[in-house]
Amino acid sequence: MRSKVLLAAWLLSDIIIFIGAYALAYFLRVGFIFSSDFPFDRYLLTALMTSPLWLIVMSTTRTFFLTHNQRTLRNGSYIAYAGAVGISIFTLLYYFEFTAFFSRMLLLEALIIQIALTWVWHIGYDKFRRMKLRSFPPAFPTLLVGVTRETAALIRHLDRRRSALVPVAILENKGTKEKEIEGVPVLGKLNKLEEVLKTHKITHLIQCSDLEQSINLLSACRKEGITYMLLPSVLGIVERDEHIESLEGWPVTAVHPKGSVAQRFFA
Amino acid sequence: MHAFILAGGFATRLWPLTEKRAKPLLPLAGLPILTHIVEKIPLHIPVTVSTNAAFKNGFLEWKETIDRPSLQIMIEPTFADDKKLGTNGAIAQWLRDEKITDDVLLLTGDNYLGFSIENFIASYTGNPLLAAYDIGDKHEARKFGTVILSDDGRSVAAFEEKPAEAKTTLVSTGCYIVPASSFAMLDAYAKTHPDFIGGIFEEFLRMKTRVDCFRFEECWFDIGSFETYLNATKKLVGDHLLLGDGAEMVSSMREGSVVIGQNSKVDQSTITDTVIFDDCEIVDCVLERCVIDSGCSLKGIDLTGKMIRAGTILRSLTR
Repeated sequence: MRSKVLLAAWLLSDIIIFIGAYALAYFLRVGFIFSSDFPFDRYLLTALMTSPLWLIVMSTTRTFFLTHNQRTLRNGSYIAYAGAVGISIFTLLYYFEFTAFFSRMLLLEALIIQIALTWVWHIGYDKFRRMKLRSFPPAFPTLLVGVTRETAALIRHLDRRRSALVPVAILENKGTKEKEIEGVPVLGKLNKLEEVLKTHKITHLIQCSDLEQSINLLSACRKEGITYMLLPSVLGIVERDEHIESLEGWPVTAVHPKGSVAQRFFA
Repeated sequence: MHAFILAGGFATRLWPLTEKRAKPLLPLAGLPILTHIVEKIPLHIPVTVSTNAAFKNGFLEWKETIDRPSLQIMIEPTFADDKKLGTNGAIAQWLRDEKITDDVLLLTGDNYLGFSIENFIASYTGNPLLAAYDIGDKHEARKFGTVILSDDGRSVAAFEEKPAEAKTTLVSTGCYIVPASSFAMLDAYAKTHPDFIGGIFEEFLRMKTRVDCFRFEECWFDIGSFETYLNATKKLVGDHLLLGDGAEMVSSMREGSVVIGQNSKVDQSTITDTVIFDDCEIVDCVLERCVIDSGCSLKGIDLTGKMIRAGTILRSLTR
């Protein structure tokens, strides 16, 4: 519930930011007046009509995902891409609705302001959202399966990044003497899986070892409506250079030979 | 004599098959392991099965399937492995609570015994007695309690529970008789050593009590892991197909031992050395050395060496 409210507030605030950015561009270009040559109400109406379409484009970039980091350049480029699509929609809508053109500089300014404001807002709001989602009890209690150094590294990483996914328990199939890893309790072997999923209200399960049990863990997750994740290290991929790609529409995990920047885009 | 079967283990190595079912209730060649054991105990001997609260319902349901009025289920009120009384603890408590004065036939619920328990009891002379099997491999023997016989070939000279280096290939098989005269010793020992039933026999020898050995050559399986479970199935079923009530296998290929549980259906598949529990649907699959728990639905999947959790639905969309 907490996450849904926060997401709804985020979507609403994004629409406000979008319209606000366009309004700001209008006043910066036209001056802080309501021009009769270029009526503000028409302009605002078009921005209002564009905003839900722009939001749909934004959603397709997965920018609102829990696991998405807003600070990355990739996320910035996604926001810029959605902004560019947004301004195109705005231009077309305005022309079709009012059969009129207007300042190209205004469009450019609106685009730049909208992208900048949206990105800054996303970084700020994401920080706030993570704080709220992590506060006790965490909105996304996460179960880790397997006690390995990768497990410990993952826990530290999630904590450092203030991730919305908060590890609350660990299960280990082969048995371990460790009582806790980085402060997260090791609750026993996989025979306690169902009990732990229920008592801790687990929403995400991350498999860190025991590849032979992946089908059974996935089966339990599907049954309980839990998101299942698998660390690539379980498959022996430890260099963080894997990608989920589509091979003729068939999803595959790919590891390409190390090459030039150009190869990354055209390989 | 009174029979006491230890069936309170959580069997974590057999997860997910033992997620909701105790290991002694795992079907082996069409029947629960426990049923195989109980059917071998002479009818005049009352039987008590000791388990824990986590598996209570499963045992009570199983009891309904057994036509034996003298059968009792004793529930230990624990839900977790680390809170159990332990095997010796459970036996000692039962002896005290039920005020047992008969000699006790002790059996572990996860061991399939090929020999006649009647013959085993007939060889009992009043001394503590254990059944031993020559496993033929000292490395393998380290996983069990090893038995060194005296020169008379009947009494036990030494007993070592899971030794680091086995001196013999003769191993204890989870089948014992403890005379009533030794209960006090057992009770005292259980207070300091709640686990490892074989330890009681080490204690008997330490206290200079003669322990006898019943050696047998019929089959014996300690069902402790996926491999031993499949191997036991292979030995008992042979190169055959065992179909439960309402089960069917159509347009399919079979190799080796295949067991298909009640109301399960296998269609257009290739199945090799695999056990499929009840109410499963297997279509267009290739399964080799797998155990598929109840209520699974698999379509278009190839699996090798897997234990699949009850209720798993796997449908390949690429076929």
